[in-house]
Parts: sequence; structure tokens; C-alpha cells
Amino acid sequence: MAAPVAEKVSNRFIDPKVLIRIQNMELVARTVVEGFVQGLHRSPYLGFSVDFAAYRAYVPGDEIKRVDWNVYGRTDKLYIKLFEGETNTKVLILVDVSGSMNYSSGAVSKLDYARMLAACLSYFAYHQRDAVGLLTFDTDVVKYVPSSRRRGQLLTILSEIDRIVASKETEFRKPLHYLAEMLNRRGLIIVISDFYDEPENIVNGLKVLKTKGNDVVAFHVMDNFELTFPFAEMAQFEDLETDRKMHVIPEYLRNQYLKILNEHIDKLQKELTSARIDYQLMNTSDPLDSGLFKYLAARSATV
Amino acid sequence: MGLLNPLFLIGSVVLAVPILVHLVRRERSEIIHFSSLMFLLKVPKQVVRQQKLKNLLLMLLRLGIFALLVLAFTRPFMAYTPPKPGDTGTGDANIVMLLDNSMSMRYGNHFDRLKEEARKRIDGMGANDRMIIVGFSDAATVLATPNSTNSVWRTDKNQLKSMLGTLELSFNGTRYFDAFVTADRYFSQAPAGPRKLVVISDFQRNGWNRTSHENVIGKEVQTEMVSVAEENPNNLGIESVSADAASFTRTYSGRIVARIRNYKKVEAKDVPVTLTVNGSPMGRRMVTLPANGSSLAEFSGFDLPVGLSKAAVAIEADDPLKEDNMFVLALERREKLKVLVVDNGRKEESFQLRTALTASDTLPFQVAAVPAGQLTPEELVNHQVVIINDVPRLNDAVWKRMEELRKTGQGQFVILAQNAKMDWWGAQASFPVKPTRQIIVRQDRGQPFVSVTNYDRNHSIFKPFEKSAKLTMSVAEFFAYIEVQPQPGASVMARFDDGSPFLVESKPEDRGLIVMASTVHNLAWSDLALKISFPPLIHEIVRYLSGYNDARSWYSMGEGVPITGSVEGTAASVKTPAGERESLGDIKPGQQKFYSPAVPGFYDVQVGKDLRLFAVDPQMNEGNLEAMLPEDLLAGVQRLDEGKASDILAPNAQEEHARRSLTWWYLLLAAILFGISEIFIANRTQRSQIEPRRA
Repeated sequence: MAAPVAEKVSNRFIDPKVLIRIQNMELVARTVVEGFVQGLHRSPYLGFSVDFAAYRAYVPGDEIKRVDWNVYGRTDKLYIKLFEGETNTKVLILVDVSGSMNYSSGAVSKLDYARMLAACLSYFAYHQRDAVGLLTFDTDVVKYVPSSRRRGQLLTILSEIDRIVASKETEFRKPLHYLAEMLNRRGLIIVISDFYDEPENIVNGLKVLKTKGNDVVAFHVMDNFELTFPFAEMAQFEDLETDRKMHVIPEYLRNQYLKILNEHIDKLQKELTSARIDYQLMNTSDPLDSGLFKYLAARSATV
Repeated sequence: MGLLNPLFLIGSVVLAVPILVHLVRRERSEIIHFSSLMFLLKVPKQVVRQQKLKNLLLMLLRLGIFALLVLAFTRPFMAYTPPKPGDTGTGDANIVMLLDNSMSMRYGNHFDRLKEEARKRIDGMGANDRMIIVGFSDAATVLATPNSTNSVWRTDKNQLKSMLGTLELSFNGTRYFDAFVTADRYFSQAPAGPRKLVVISDFQRNGWNRTSHENVIGKEVQTEMVSVAEENPNNLGIESVSADAASFTRTYSGRIVARIRNYKKVEAKDVPVTLTVNGSPMGRRMVTLPANGSSLAEFSGFDLPVGLSKAAVAIEADDPLKEDNMFVLALERREKLKVLVVDNGRKEESFQLRTALTASDTLPFQVAAVPAGQLTPEELVNHQVVIINDVPRLNDAVWKRMEELRKTGQGQFVILAQNAKMDWWGAQASFPVKPTRQIIVRQDRGQPFVSVTNYDRNHSIFKPFEKSAKLTMSVAEFFAYIEVQPQPGASVMARFDDGSPFLVESKPEDRGLIVMASTVHNLAWSDLALKISFPPLIHEIVRYLSGYNDARSWYSMGEGVPITGSVEGTAASVKTPAGERESLGDIKPGQQKFYSPAVPGFYDVQVGKDLRLFAVDPQMNEGNLEAMLPEDLLAGVQRLDEGKASDILAPNAQEEHARRSLTWWYLLLAAILFGISEIFIANRTQRSQIEPRRA
């Protein structure tokens, strides 16, 4: 049963803190996506797989259900209806599961946020009939679910997303090069990470994917505390990836930290943009829909 | 440095608070799991170091504020530290050696020890060092005479030692300040080179007047203070003597009271005190003197021959300082002043005057009365003072004779009242006033009476009124008086409160005549004669007019003795105790010369035909040998660096002490400056914060 419109519109801006309470990743994805879709002026469903494009003659191997029986009744010939949405895109979502993604200043960790974002994108893409795949990585590839449109693919991906555990350090070059070698079909590659690596490594890795003909979207997930560094008291800061400790007096370092971080983000944005890679900085305290918009924009460019 | 409120130092524990907070926070710093230290590790160490320095500076400023506030509230003052002998230049030293030859140095072998110490200093001189030897008591004297180059500095040790040999003990008191001034004067004229001041003395406390100290010795002068004082001096002495110098009766009418002092720390029992007059014993008393205390010995009722006598009070004590065991004084048995009262011959008309002048045998007045009508010019001659008591007029011959006698020193006192013929008195050219009319106060002034409220307080006849609170001129009420106009040159000595003259003295060249413009016997005119102030007023007027001088019969060493010329100008001379006669030259009438005695004893003075005697005693306070700290003395005369203070001088240098205690204001000011700096630096740090990035 369809929910009232007003309720669905409000879901569009649902707070990640609320979403995190929902244990079922599919439910999370559906809640966000449907809310997001209802809020759009023009539903993406109308554009995909519904709009009639043309007829073509039936060839063996085509699905019987796609035969237009009305045309057969009038002409006694088998024709198949072609729709716009049927030009499927292969979507691969890369999720950074390094230790740094486990950081949270509040209820939602970056990894949670990445998981929800990945789930939403998977759900959205799957329901647009795209082949969806998932790859988790840290310094190497942790888990790889190849893109597929098969039945149950979404559940597979969602269950994998649900099982993600943060592990080691981040290293972009190796997993991205591995991926570039492995992929043999162009598609849309979505990278969700905090990008704690040198900008050169990140950009070079993503450039490799781009040069293979893929469209690449980079979601840079950052915690609000990482972006503002609001610490006041002197403390021992422990690196979640390396366990390295550092005595920090925030008032001494805040300015320089923010300066270096901003330079890092600016550099990433600049380099990626120049490589025609979409870049989106996401704060874990923000709703997920901005990520979905980004996906849509990239998807329309692909098809 | 000292602190006026040291308890405020407890407040310094607040200094520990910022440090403790820092340490506790450091110990308890929590662990924050952060995504990555990648960016934190990239922060340049230099920036961290700068921040640390900035914060260290802030912490130091805050600690400084607390410290300065605490220190300010403790009210610090800078203590005096005597200047250290040290590098005062290079080259040959200029040494001034001050040697105490005051009377107190006669105690025991003090003077021998002084010379011995002085010799050591001479022997210790460098080959080319220069020295001046200054002997000082109540004045300072350089022993050397200027040489061919007009210098008193000497380098020859033998010459200096022979000079030292000429230094003799004096009977004078001690005045350190003059000696230091002398030393400073010679230092200022000294050739280039280090300056050194050597003071050898018993550092008798009496010699230092704390209230008038002045820093005369430069701070660059190296000082050496050599004390020859004994810790517990064993001395008895006569501290002071009071006596009436003159007696008008055969039996001495006054009392001689001697204060005998024991300067020892143990009691002195049965100390004999004797009085001798012209060598004959006149009395003997036994006194017991408490430790560091005094007792009185009193002598009276002894016979005194006519004329001048040499008296001496002496104690028999076996102590090392003999000179304060005897006190000499000159006593005089005098004839009484002859006073002639001229009145109208009415009964009791001059009763008050005669009574006031002869109330006691001890009063130096012999009064005779005569009616004006019976007065002859010859009768005036034998009297030092003539009082004209409200007579209408005088015989012209009598008045003429009076004018002549005034010039030879006779004093005349004219009382103008209801009987006076004003025309006659106003016609006398030498009369200092011109009477105009009688004033009945109630009628003419519209008030019940007038008083004498305005008088010349410096005039000798009013001294009793200045010295005593009981005697006041204004208590007498005058209901009538004669209004007079002073002649040019005459001086008004006292006025009624309506401005009219009450007492007028003749001009200086016609001296010896005083006019009183009201009566003393008619109670309808005045109640002056009933008042306590009347007798002393009349006594002083008569004394003044007679030229009677209560000359002091003794002086202390160092005092100038006034020698006054007699009526006829003539030569004056003084015969010293050693029998030598010293001429004082001619002294005009009324002229005064001062003679400075060199030794104690009796001095005969001859001025024309007049023979006088006075005694000179040593400075008796020299017997008090209590010594002061040489550093204390030095602190009073040596200039200090700006900002230093002497707590030694504190009791008598309140202003200086207060000035040097102002340090706390400077500390407070510094704390405020620290506070401003802290606010400025802290704000500057906050203002430079970078805006965080928004996603």
C-alpha cells in the first residue's frame, strides 16, 4: 500500500541518525529511495523501462513475455517492444572499509553512513534495472560482488553491506588497479571513502578506472568532527588505522589541521574534476539524498 | 629588601594553581580515537612550537600577574645595604681620615687607641696615596696647613705621623656631620683616583642628630669605620646643673640642683657630691645612682660673699672619664635694683606698684617712694629706674634731669592716667606720645571695657606671658584710659583691642622711657593691679628699663660667650683659666662681642671698669658614651643608589622610608601591564582561527 505523499516527502530528508536505528539495510534503502523518488518532480521510473522506444523482430532467445501479442494478433508476426530503460548500466559500488571509516563523533559512523549510502544506491540502481555490484576494500580488495541484474542480487549486495566490518589502513592504488584489470565492461563506478590517502594515489587510481571508459563518482564521506575539529581539551589522539598515538593540544593544531584538510579536499576536488570524475563531499550528519542526486546525474550522463 | 605585610606571601600559593591545573590536565588527558592522524602529523613542528611558545608566554604572563599582585600586597621596601668597598677607580687613593678628639675620647685610653689605629692607616697607605687628617669634635679641623702648592694633601708618612702627634683632645662635644661635610669638601677637590674615608671614633650616639641628616658622602667613596668604643663604659658624671646665678641676700636665696648620672649597668651607691664656693666646701651630699639612671643633689642656704664667686659641684668617682665629674659656675651676690616711685603723695596710691616689686626678699628690687612735689633732681641720681605714677606734671628741672639721666642708662616709666595734664606731657619733645583725651570706654566706645590683646610677643617684657599658659595680658579689663598718639620713631609695644596704644617705648636713640596709657591703682579705670599678670609685667618692665641682665653664670664648651659694652665705650679683655689675658678690643656701648673659650674653667672679663665672671663647662652629655652602630651613622651620610632604602634609618626617616616603600605601586603597574599584554596576545590567538569547512 502506498504511503501518503506528504509522509514520503518528509522521508526524503530523513536523518541518518534515525536511519541507523533501522537494522535492515533493505528497509533503510527503500525508505530513503522511495522518499527521494516521491520528492522528485519527474519520477525516474517514468524514464526507464516504461517509455516505448521501438519494435524489433523476435529472435530466438528473447524472453517470451516481452513479445507484443497485440501486434502478433494483427500482423501474425512476433515483435518485441523495446523500452528506453532497457539499455542497462553496470553499476559497481566501491566501499572503503579501512579502520578510519569506523570513526564517529555521534551515532553515525562514517562506515555506517557509507553502508547506508551504498545500500540506497544499490537499491535505487537495482530498481532501475541496472546491474549492481559491490566491492569493499582497504589496502586490498576485501569483498567483491560482481555487478549483476540477476534475481537476488540486491539481497546479496545488501547482506554484504550489512556484514561490512572496518579493518586496516587505506590504500587506493592496489585495489583500484586490481579492479581496472578485472573490469571488462564499461559502467558506473561509485567510490565511497574518506580518502585518507595521498591525493595522487587516489586520483591516479580513479583515473585508471576512468580511462577504461567508466564513469566514476567519488563520495568523500567525512565526519562533522573531522571537518570542524571542535576539540577543546588536550587529549591523546589514537589513529584508528594504525593505533598510533599522538598528544594533541587542539588549540595549537586546529588551524593547521583545518588548513591541511582543506588543502587535501581542494586538491582532490580539483584533480578529480579535471579528470572528469564527479566528486561529492558528504558530511555524515547530512541526509543521503545529495548522494542520490549525484548518482542520477552521473547515470543520465551514462545512458 | 623587606616586606611590610609578609603575610600576604601566603597568597603566592595561587601561583601553583595554573601549573597544577596544567599538570593534572596533562595526566588525565583522555584518549580520543580519531579516524586518522594523517593531517595532524603533517602539521609543521615549527607551528606547534610557536603555539607552545605563545601559550608558554601567556602562562608566564598570568603567573607574572599573580606574582606581581601578591608581591605588591606584601608592600616591599628596599633595605639599605652599606656600599661595599670595592672598585672605586684606579690610581693613587685620596684618603680622608677623620679622628674624633671630642671630650668623650678622654675616656680611658680611647685617644691612645685612636692614634694607634690612625698610625696603622698611615702605614698602610700606598706609596703615592694622599691623605688628609681631620680632627673633629663639634667642629672639624684639618691638621695640615697648605703647602707651597696650596694643598693640604700629604703623601709623606712621617709628615702625617708628626701631624697626628699634634692632635690634642678637646673638651668639646661631638658633631659628626661637620666632619663628614669637611671630608666631602676635600674629596671634591681631590685629584683623580679612588676615594677612601676612614673614621676613627667612639661613635658616641650623642654626636649624631638624626633629624638633620643629609647624604654628603658620595656613594663612590670607600669607607672604613674604626670604633674604639667600649661595650660597657664605666662612667659617672654630672649631667646638668641648675642654679640661680644671682642672689640678693647673704644667704644664697636660690637652689643649686645637680643631676648626677650613672652610665654604668650596675648601681652606684653612696656617691659623694660636694659644693665648693671660692674653694671652700659649702655642702656635701651622698647619692645612690641606679643602673643607667640619675639622682639629684641639691644645695641651698649657704653663705655667699658680696660680688662674684667661683662655685663648683663635683662628684668623687673613680671612673675613666674625670672631666664630667666637676661642674663649675659663677655666682653673684648683687645689690638690689633701686627703684624710685614718684606719685602724688596720696595714701596707698603706689601700693600695688610697691607690693608687686617687693613681694619677696628674693626679688631684686629696692623701692622708694616720693611725692612729685618733693622730688628734687638730685634725688633721681641714685636710682636705676624711676616710675612716675600718674602725676599731673613734673618740675621742669626734674624733667630735664631725667632726660639727662636717661642718656646714662637710667630707665623711666611714666604712667598716664586721670591726673595727667595732657597739655604739659604733650609739650615735652622727648616724650614718646602725645596724649589727646581721656576715654571712658562705656561712653566713648560703646562697650563695657577694653582689653590688651595685641602686644609685641618678641619683646623681652612679654616673655613671661609667652612662656606661661597661666599668664595672659587680656584678662585685665580697662574701663578708661588716656588716648595717646605715638611720636614718630616711638614704638607701640601693646594696644587695647580698640586699637589705641597701651604701652609705648621711646625711639631707639632716646631709649629708656616707657609710657603706660592707663592707671594701675584706680580700680574705676582698670583692674590690672588685681590680676596675676600684673607683678610679672611690672618686674619685666623694670628689669628692661634698668638694663638688668640675668647674665648666665656658666656656658658650655662650644658656645660663644656674649660680652656687652658698658655705658661708656671702652676696651674689653678676658683672663683665661690659665691666667692669660686676651684682649677683645674696644666695645661700644650696647655693642656685643662673642668670646669662644678654649678650655673649661673660670674666665674673668673686664669691660672698662666693670669686672665680670663666667664659668665654662665641658659638654656634659659627652659623659654619655653610649655608642651607635658605625653602619647606622654611615647610612645617614652616604648617598645611595636611587631606589635603595635604609631600614636602619627608618625610625627617623619616615618620608624617605615612605618614598622607598612605593615599590608596590610599581609592581601594581607592572601587573596591569602584564594583564593588558595577556589580553592582547590571547585575543590575537583567537582572532586567527580558521573557519572549518562545510560539506
